Order: sequence, then C-alpha cells, then structure tokens
Amino acid sequence: MKLLEVKGISKSYKALQVLKDVSLDLYEQERHVIIGPNGAGKTTLFNCIFGTIPMDKGQVLLSGVDVTAMPSHKRVSLGMSRTFQKNNLFEQLTIEENLHLAFSSLKPYRRRLFRPLASYRDLAEDTEKLLKEWKLWDRRDRLVHELSYGEQRILEIMLAFASNPKVLMLDEPTSGMSVAETALTTQIIQNLPRTTSLLVIEHDMEVVFAIADRITVIHHGEVLITGSPEEIRSNEMVREIYFGGGALKDA
Amino acid sequence: MKKSEKNRIILFALGAIIILLLPNVLSTYGIKLTSELYIMSIFALSLGLIMGYAGLPSFGHAAFFGLGAYTVALVGKFVDSSYVLIVAAIAIGGLMALLTGLLFVRNSGAYLIMLTMAFNQLLYVLFYKLTDYTGGADGMSVSVRLDLGFGPLTGAKGMYYFTAICLLGVFALLYYLVKSPVGRISYGSKVNDHRMKALGYNTYWYKVFMYTVGGMLAGFAGALYGYYNSFVSPDSIHWGLSGQALIMVVIGGSGTLIGPPIGAAVFVILQNYISSYTDRWPLIMGILFIALVLYGRGGIVHMGQRLWAVLASRLKKTGGQSRTSAEQEGYRNEAP
Amino acid sequence: MEISTLMLQILAGLSYGMLLFMIACGMTIIYGLMHVMNMAHGSFFALGAYVTYSMVHAKLGFWPSLLIAAAVVALLGVVIERLLLNNMYGKMNEQVLITFGILYVVQDLIKWIWGTDILTIGVPKILNFSIAMGDIMFPAYRLFVIAFGILVAVALWYMEAKTQTGAIIRAGVDDREMLGALGVNVKLVFACVFMFGAALAAIGGAMAGPILGLYNGMDMEILTLSLVIVVIGGLGTWKGTFVSALIVGMIETFGQVYFPNFSMAIVFVFMVIVLIVKPSGLFGKGVTA
Repeated sequence: MKLLEVKGISKSYKALQVLKDVSLDLYEQERHVIIGPNGAGKTTLFNCIFGTIPMDKGQVLLSGVDVTAMPSHKRVSLGMSRTFQKNNLFEQLTIEENLHLAFSSLKPYRRRLFRPLASYRDLAEDTEKLLKEWKLWDRRDRLVHELSYGEQRILEIMLAFASNPKVLMLDEPTSGMSVAETALTTQIIQNLPRTTSLLVIEHDMEVVFAIADRITVIHHGEVLITGSPEEIRSNEMVREIYFGGGALKDA
Repeated sequence: MKKSEKNRIILFALGAIIILLLPNVLSTYGIKLTSELYIMSIFALSLGLIMGYAGLPSFGHAAFFGLGAYTVALVGKFVDSSYVLIVAAIAIGGLMALLTGLLFVRNSGAYLIMLTMAFNQLLYVLFYKLTDYTGGADGMSVSVRLDLGFGPLTGAKGMYYFTAICLLGVFALLYYLVKSPVGRISYGSKVNDHRMKALGYNTYWYKVFMYTVGGMLAGFAGALYGYYNSFVSPDSIHWGLSGQALIMVVIGGSGTLIGPPIGAAVFVILQNYISSYTDRWPLIMGILFIALVLYGRGGIVHMGQRLWAVLASRLKKTGGQSRTSAEQEGYRNEAP
Repeated sequence: MEISTLMLQILAGLSYGMLLFMIACGMTIIYGLMHVMNMAHGSFFALGAYVTYSMVHAKLGFWPSLLIAAAVVALLGVVIERLLLNNMYGKMNEQVLITFGILYVVQDLIKWIWGTDILTIGVPKILNFSIAMGDIMFPAYRLFVIAFGILVAVALWYMEAKTQTGAIIRAGVDDREMLGALGVNVKLVFACVFMFGAALAAIGGAMAGPILGLYNGMDMEILTLSLVIVVIGGLGTWKGTFVSALIVGMIETFGQVYFPNFSMAIVFVFMVIVLIVKPSGLFGKGVTA
C-alpha cells in the first residue's frame, strides 16, 4: 500500500519556478532514491513534503491521510521523519542528550514536569540500544563538535530514525563523506529495517544503486522519469544528463 | 544516585546552611542588603530561566516584577492576608506573561526583544500616568505587613530568613524543572528550535509555558520586593530594572541556574559599593557589562568552570608526582 | 473637533511621524543589512538633541549646532561599530547586549553631563513664524520637519533605486554572503551604513528638540516607539517604516487628545493587531531574524 503520495507539487520563489508539478510515491518496505543535478529542486521538494516550507500547489498524503495543511511536527507524529543536508544537530549537547531529545518526542511523558528526563528507564534503554547498534555507545558522553564529520552525519540519521518512522527522508546522507565513511553509511542504510521506508536524495551513484528499489530523476524542477535501477541506467535522457553532460559521482 | 547528583545536593545543603547562618555575622545593614540580593536573585533567575532554558530573550521582564509589586501595594489596600497577596502577585505576573507570551513567542529573537520592550514601556507609562490609582511618579506605600500566620515579620532578620527560604525554594524548584522532560525539551528548543520541530515537537507551547513560569517567578520577586521595601514606585516597572536583570544574568552566566544569583550578588554588591562613592554607578556597571560581553565569554560561572578545569588538570599532574615519590618511599622501606 | 484644530493636529501628527521615521529607518536599514538590533539608536537620537542644546547655548545658532551634533554622533557611531560590534557579526545575542549596554551607559552619561531637568531648544529664528492657510495658522517649523522627512525619504528612494550603493545595500539585505563574494568592501559598507543611521537619528533628535523638549528617558521612549514602528512596518524595509512611522505619529498625536494617558496603549494595540494579521509587518517580507 502507498505510504507516501506526493501529487503535483509546484513551488516558485518570486519569478523562479523551482518545482513544477512533481509527483511521486513511496510504498511500504520500499527504498526510493531521488537523483538529479544540483539546483534541480530536490531539497525544496523535501521541504515541501515535510512541511518546512509551504507549497504553491500540490498534495501530500501519508498513509492515505492528507497532511498538506499540517505543520511539520504533526507529520512526525504520523510517522514521517527527515534529515538535513547540512548537519542539524544539537551542537552543545552530548550524543546521548541528542538522542534523548530525539526519542522523547513520542514518549507519553514528554509533557511531564516532575521526574528528570534522564531518569526514565525506557529512554535510557532505547538510547543504549541504538547507540550500540550504530557503534557509538563508547562515545555517548562526547559533545557533538568532538565527533568527526562522518560521525555527525550518522548521528543526523540516528536522530531522524529514533522515532521509528514509517517514512524516513534522507537528504544527501553521504554528502561530504570520505570513501570509508560512505561505505559505512551505505551499510547502515542497507541494514535499516524494512518497516521504515526510505525516500533518499543522493548524488553518489554507487550509493544510489546500492540501496535503491526505485529511482526518480528530477531535472529543472520536474520529474523526468521514475523507474527501476536498470531502467534508469539504460535510459537515454538520463545518460545524456549525467554521463554525457556532466558526471554525478562525487569527486 | 550518581556521584555528581550527590555532590550537588551536598553543595546545596552547604549553601543553605551558610545562608541561614549569615545574619549572625552581618550588620543590620548587611542583612537588609542581602535580603534585597535574594529578591533580585529570584528575579534574575526568572529571566535566566526563559533566556537560558527556553531561548526567549526578554528585554522587558521588569513588567512582571512591577506587576507583582504593584499587586501587593494595590490589592493590599483591601486584603490583609499575605498568602492571598503573594498568590495574587504570582497569578497576575503569570497571567500577563501567558497572554503576551501567546502572542509574542511565535516571533523570533529580534521581534521578541522589541515586543517585550514595548510591553514593558507600555506598562511603565500606564502605571506612571494613572496617578489616582498608583500614586504616579511618587509611588505608593505598602500598608500591609508580611504575616505568615505567626505574627507580622517586621524585623530585618525576619525578612532575611523569609527571602532566603524563598530563594532556596525557588532554586530547588527550578533545578527539577530544568531537568524534567518539559525543561529539557525547552532547552532543546533553545539550542536548535528548527530541529526540535523536525523531531515532532510543537515547541510553541513549551516556550509559552516557560515564559509563563518566568512571569510567575518575576511577579513573586516583585511581591517580595513590595513587602521588603514597604514602598512601590514606577522604578519597579521601569526598563532600567529589566536591564539590570539582563546584566545580572549575563554577568553570572546564562544557561546555568547558579549564574543569575551570582550575577545578582555581584551587581547588588558592586552597585552598593560604587554608589557610596558616586552617583554614576549605572555608567560604571554598563561599561563593566559591555567589557564582559566583549571579553568575558560566558559570564562568571563559565569562566569559573574553565578556571576549575585548568586547575584540576594542574592538580592531577602534581598529584601524580607525589604518588610516585611515595611509591619510591615504600619501595625503599620494603627493600632490606 | 473644529476643522482648524483638526488640521493642526494632523500637521502635528505628520511632523511627529517624520521625526520617528528618521530614527526608525536607521534602525531598520541597519537591521536589514547587518542584522544588528541597535538598542543604542535611542541614544543617538537623545545625544543629537542634547549636543545641539549645548551648541545652541554656546551661541552657535541652531543649524551649525545641528550639524555639529550630527557629526559628533556619526563619529560615535563609527567608533561603536568598529570597536564594539566589529567582531560580533553573526552573534546576534552579543550585539544586542552590547548596544543595550551602550544605551544604559549613555543614559547615565546624559544625566551626568546635562542633569535631570527638562531642557528646551528654541525654534530656529528663520522658521519661527506661521503660514496662514485660510483661517488656520500652520507653524512653519512643523512644515519644515515634514518637508525634511519627505526629502530624506526621496533621497533614500533615489539611492536605493538609482545608485550603485543602493543596489549593493539592497543586495546585502537579501543575501549578505553575496556581498563579500561580489568583492564589496563589506567593512566599509557596514561602517558607513551604521554612521549614516546614527547621523540621521541625531538630526531627528536635534529637530525634535524644539517640538518635544529634552528630558531623561527620551532615549528609551523614542527607542520603544521606533521598535514598534519597525515591527509594524516590517524589519528591513524602510518604505514600510515610512508608512508605519506616519501612522504611529498620527495615532500618538490624536491619542494624546482623546486618551491622554493611553496613547501608547493604543499604539501597542494597533501593533498587536498588525502582528496577528500579518506577522512580518505591513510590508515585511518575512525576514527571519
């Protein structure tokens, strides 16, 4: 069943039309990757889907529910989550504290006034479990700025994943990463449970083909084509844009 | 219970004991000054709470302080009970903070600063001009005495103990508030509001809540001031007082609970000291304040923390040396 | 209200609005370009008035005094911008606190130098007459203030729309990082803009002298009104400031007539209404602070 339906999103900034009638969807258990040249409007698309910015036209349906008019935080409670292209972490806090905040958003005690947040056992357990899975448990007391860029990027994903979302949107998860970090992150993404469907923006074609079930190509704010990895790889127009006109793969 | 938690409780108890024993070594004047210090500490804490733990910079917090003070003065003409008056002051401070907060908090830092200043100025002008009700520029006396059920607290010592206990109580209350889920989430909102929203929090209501608590506490401090001073004037709702609170929070260290009281102490003591030599203490305090913002990097608490960290690492080195020599001693003693 | 009184009130409202415009537009341009919320702007206004007072009392004549005051405050503005604000761009909290500290310091400085009594500056002789239009006698000085305000607005419009400096500033308001990328000497631009804003506020203060008088607390009063005007008009847009300054000037003036103690409250309520209906101000583009 379709988890996420995006219908006809259009968005303009003054005279510039950034998105034109963009539609796509995401099924359960699916990994759908969005690719396209820089400036094609991909992050703007994420912003519209998530509710960060308002769209001019269009509709967003989450599990059949129309969330178009809902503020972002409401969409999260319905099972959406996202990462950001530029790290958007709690810089002054430790990794552990970052995750506490991420996990607490759906906990029943998030409006309580009396017990210290850190004393809730389930919060500690959830945090420990996730940190151990992603190999950051030893560093849990470190402040964010003590982490390497790659580790921060991984924390970025962890924060979004903490709410156990149905739809997880990753915005260029491997941007700025070294080869080793990219490989590690690709593995992490591949190992994510299928109960969380992924909508991913990526530039690194190796990563794209390693994780994608379906690929959508966006060019000049419009959907060029949506299809399986093989279809995309062999498509004439796509080859023209990427392999003819300019390489996509990160240097 | 973690060790740091235990340490904190011990420190708090120590602080409480010192505070309660202090009147025995202070002159009457010193006792009165320290009482005022405690009241200003509560006021500074109320501002430190919303600025440091909710990311709401207010340049008009004296609005709620003044409302609290005038509540005691005005309502005190009709009602005697100290409990009723103090609760009324807290309620009015909180209510006005809630109403303005609902409207203002939606806006970002710059707008919030402007709006809080405007509201403060508005109240000042109102209280200044409604001479028939408030005595205008001349102020009005507070005819009620603080009476908690065992006789009026008229002496300096009585006021001292009362304000001290109030401060300790407020401090403990805030300690648990900032650790609670609501407190931590508000703090998260201060660190990165955008991400908090993306994590699913409706940060608006958390901020409104914290702002209301800030208003309630400021109203409480204002009420205490009314009793302490037995007199209330528009100075209690003047933007200069908002500025003072801001200076206290910044000098002491925003983002900590111990910072604002320390800042209040420094401010009150310095002001007292300087004003005995010259009328120009606002000028001097202002210059010190600017210097601190430029070079201080975080206020007294943060400077103290860094100093402590430097000292601690030095101590570790010398500790290591003496251990080695002791080992050597032991070794020598063991050898036949 | 009689027609003649009404007309005079409108005149008073417009001239007051122009004075407010002169200080508020400096604030909004400085904020729009440099993201500095300059709390000390009220101080510039007050200092402009007080320095003019001293110069007038040194027998210097109104106009030379005004120019000297503007120069002194402009210099002060440059010093503040270079020494104190220079390293703080991007750290908005620190900037606000510093300018606030300056406001605090200058207020006491004024008390020290000029005392706490209310002072006055006489209307400059050359304008000390009234123009008769029908039955009504319009004070020429007020007309002058209005004319000057319009002149400033026209000059700003011209500079923004027709000159390169204006284009640079407009670009800078939209995207500050682009300025540096364009090879513009950002430091120079910032210093000049700040200085210009300060000088304009000082001129406004000097011109306000004969109308409002000089008193302790005028810096804070004018600052609050400016802030309200900027909020209503929209941060970063001086056109919005022009319109809202005139509106606020009118509300304050007429408010004084009908509700003498509550004119500030009326202005405040108006601001609240604007904020509810259009959170970024009447002309604001949703500039995020």
